[in-house]
Amino acid sequence: MNSRLIVTPNLCTGCRTCELACSFAHPVNGKLGRSRITVLDGGMKDLWVPVVCMQCDDPACVKSCLVDALRLNPETGAVELNQEKCVKCMACVAACPFGCSLFDDQHNMIIKCDLCGGDPVCARFCPSGALTFKPIASAKLKESA
Amino acid sequence: MRIDSPQRLQELQKEYVAREKSFAKKVLVCCGPGCLASGAAQIVEEFKKLLKKKRIKKFSVEALKETGCHGLCQQGPLVVIEPKGIFYTKVKPKHVEEIIETSIRKDEVVTDLLYTDPKTGQTIERYADIDFYSRQHRIALRNLGKISQYDIRDYIAQGGYQALAKALTTMTPDEVVDEMTKSGLRGRGGAGFSTGRKWATCLKAKEQPHYVICNGDEGDPGAFMDRAIMEGDPHSVLEGMIICAYAIGSKDGYIYVREEYPLAVQNLQLAIDQANEYGLLGENILGNGFSFNIKVSRGGGAFVCGESSALMKSVAGEVGEPRAKYVRSVLKGLFDKPTVLNNVESLANVPVIISEGGEQFASLGTPKSTGTKAFSLVGKVCNTGLIEVPMGTTLREIIYDIGGGIQNDRPFKAVQTGGPSGGCLPESKINLPVDFDSLTEAGSMMGSGGMIVVDDRTCVVDLAKYFLSFLVEESCGKCTPCREGLYQLHRLAVKISEGEATEADLDKMEKLSEMIIIGSLCGLGKSGPNPFLSTIRYFRDEYLAHIKDKRCPAGVCRALIRYEVITDKCDGCMACISTCAVHAITGKKGEVHVIDQDKCDKCGACYAICTRHAIEVI
Amino acid sequence: MVHLTINGKVVQATEGEMLLAVIRREGIEIPALCHHEAVEPFGACRLCTVEITKEEWDGWSNFVTSCLYPVEDNLIVSTHSPTVIELRKTLIDLQLARSPNSPEIRQLAEEYGITKTSYEEIPEGDNCILCGLCTRICDQMGFAAISTVGRGHGKKVAPPLDEAPPDCVGCLACALNCPTNVIEFTDEGNIRTIWKKQFELITCTKCGKKTITKDFAKALSESRNIPMSYFEICDECHRKELAQTMGRIVSWSREAVS
Repeated sequence: MNSRLIVTPNLCTGCRTCELACSFAHPVNGKLGRSRITVLDGGMKDLWVPVVCMQCDDPACVKSCLVDALRLNPETGAVELNQEKCVKCMACVAACPFGCSLFDDQHNMIIKCDLCGGDPVCARFCPSGALTFKPIASAKLKESA
Repeated sequence: MRIDSPQRLQELQKEYVAREKSFAKKVLVCCGPGCLASGAAQIVEEFKKLLKKKRIKKFSVEALKETGCHGLCQQGPLVVIEPKGIFYTKVKPKHVEEIIETSIRKDEVVTDLLYTDPKTGQTIERYADIDFYSRQHRIALRNLGKISQYDIRDYIAQGGYQALAKALTTMTPDEVVDEMTKSGLRGRGGAGFSTGRKWATCLKAKEQPHYVICNGDEGDPGAFMDRAIMEGDPHSVLEGMIICAYAIGSKDGYIYVREEYPLAVQNLQLAIDQANEYGLLGENILGNGFSFNIKVSRGGGAFVCGESSALMKSVAGEVGEPRAKYVRSVLKGLFDKPTVLNNVESLANVPVIISEGGEQFASLGTPKSTGTKAFSLVGKVCNTGLIEVPMGTTLREIIYDIGGGIQNDRPFKAVQTGGPSGGCLPESKINLPVDFDSLTEAGSMMGSGGMIVVDDRTCVVDLAKYFLSFLVEESCGKCTPCREGLYQLHRLAVKISEGEATEADLDKMEKLSEMIIIGSLCGLGKSGPNPFLSTIRYFRDEYLAHIKDKRCPAGVCRALIRYEVITDKCDGCMACISTCAVHAITGKKGEVHVIDQDKCDKCGACYAICTRHAIEVI
Repeated sequence: MVHLTINGKVVQATEGEMLLAVIRREGIEIPALCHHEAVEPFGACRLCTVEITKEEWDGWSNFVTSCLYPVEDNLIVSTHSPTVIELRKTLIDLQLARSPNSPEIRQLAEEYGITKTSYEEIPEGDNCILCGLCTRICDQMGFAAISTVGRGHGKKVAPPLDEAPPDCVGCLACALNCPTNVIEFTDEGNIRTIWKKQFELITCTKCGKKTITKDFAKALSESRNIPMSYFEICDECHRKELAQTMGRIVSWSREAVS
């Protein structure tokens, strides 16, 4: 678990390229899936905040899943939802304090950020560097301020 | 009363043998399932009452024993006077006084109650001289009819628990398993799996704890071998289980008894209590450090719970549904732990195998099916009852030499073996030896020992329909091929019996049967189509008669038969008119009666009651 | 690592895996109606049956449900052999006799070339195929509110005594995973009704959207130590809250720098 997705809202332009990239990277039956990252109003002029799963150290979603469909993947550092195990009870959607377990009603499934298996496309395509995927050791938060 | 050493057990045996010898005469009243149903309990009461009143010298009430199934149920209620072995048949409470005065007070015989050989017309005094008995070789049933089913002293007097003492004190668990393997004993419940191998696998299983379970579910209609053993000689089952527990390293055992056997539950519990009291169960058995406890677990009334994985779920308090056994229950059984499940009769054989050695047991029977087998011989034979013969005895010997042939000299049609999982075999197959493998090749199977003989008045379509309806009722319903497949197979059998089927339906049934066998999860489904498949194999013409001619040759299927009065035999006695529940028969006294076919519901009561044989089935 | 052959192709598998997982990994589709990864395999529908053999079996083959059969070295598996296809067709045909009105069963039947059952239709039909998924999932989640009752052809899924089940929390896991969509439920206003029992749905304190039932939230909160307050706000409002919070931090840090 070496890298984390770092969100620097200060740099976010609200372009939502991340949402597009996420949708494309998670197709369902050949169609675009719902994005697992959402860019929302930061409450001030020109202030956008990309909201995405925090991959918590003590995830409420994992705790809430009564069929053990949510599990930390130690290689990628992501808390992954096993779609085949999911029974769609919405416990994780209701339990996550950040609202980052979402219901894709077009495809009738629950989704969450899986860090794209170790190379998150949102960070790859973010034009402004508001989203980066960095090893924790070298992440210097003060620099991005 | 704890027996704290094998020496003490031997002393007790001597004591109890002396006790038996002290009875100058013994009265053994058979209280097996058949005789009980015919009133044995009243006979026992009458004996007790009169013996108390009469106070015969040298005869104590203790010499009156209520025994397990003596065997010749057809002739019951049975009373045997030892030591001569005088055999009284069809005894009623009103006969008891005469028996006491004649055979107990004096040394004479009540000739009216003796067995009459149907071939010679002569009476036979001693049961040992009757073919039915002399041709048997009783091992699992060795004590039935000889000992009190309530008294552990009788069992010990017969040498009971000596095998346990031998195993605990002179043999290692491995040696016990070896002896079982040498004996070649195969599961008597019908599956025929090598008992020695089962015990060996469990002994080696690393996961603990290990369990021993006795399968007393005996669900096959017509089978009562296990019931007779559980009721009549419960200690033989206990001893077998304790020896097994020692061999595989188990501390807890269960006897699963079907819900419909309350007497077996009662007698087993009594035996367990006695064994506990004597220190033959519980902690530190025979002072040897080995401990084992047995509990009786009652079934809920489901045939499917005779299947081992369903049984284990039932014991654990869950719904009795089988599971696919790709991982065998000897490794993951009760509570997912290594478990040996053995049938009642298998366990009853264990003490004898340990006492006399596996090789001795293996010298009986055939090389692949060693030892003996108990059968419940029922149906249209003259001598119905409980028998035990060496494996390899032919069907002919059993049905004719022991069974005495077909009742009323009617023609033999078929013998149904193996219960709902088995099949029917016709006359052309009755020279087959009865063992685990020979009958299977012919399309049936030996099964747990139920053997139903039918004559020409049994319709095989009706028989197949009956077994299918039984299976539909008893299916657990978990898997589609059994639940839906057997249901549809039964519906088609009904169609045939009502004359509504076509030959294409027969083909459909045969194909469906094949799929049910392949697709089913457990043995119930996999063997479910057998009653149909075996009857169509040997009696296809009878099926075709139903289909093409709309006729039931045996005169059974109601939609295809009618009852007619034979006009030159009817003398107008009106017996049938008064018996007919739907008032379908008319006629004045002295005049030939007429059956109105529209009203007649084919119940057959008129046919049964007519003493002039003036009604026929067409 | 275990090596086996599936439809002629040699594949690798991990010991302890079931055949069905390997078959699916190879992209081969076989129906398995009573199968769900959330629960232990059950072997009830028998549709995933495959034909297996080994060289040393001298031509003898066995038919096993792939969902429950562990992989073995040198196993030779046929997922679409003629007998397997015939078996599947018979099973579907039988299922169609039981559930002639079920769109899902009819669709499956069509895939196997069956439009009408060749057996006697059960009067009124029963769309429940007794796969047991609803009860098994409910057990897995720890509620065990419903069960199969009865035996054989009369078997059905029901709450205890056919009354409102005391242990049901209204999570809908049973209804949402039923292969034939037999379990009915309604969400009207803030009341959910299922299994003749009524549940109050949590209303988001910010926007009024209905989320899960109060009983479900309480059960999760108590058994998994999640503060009840987490459940009082819906996911959408949670995200908005997070954005606002982040926004406040950013604007505060901007001020602090300037």
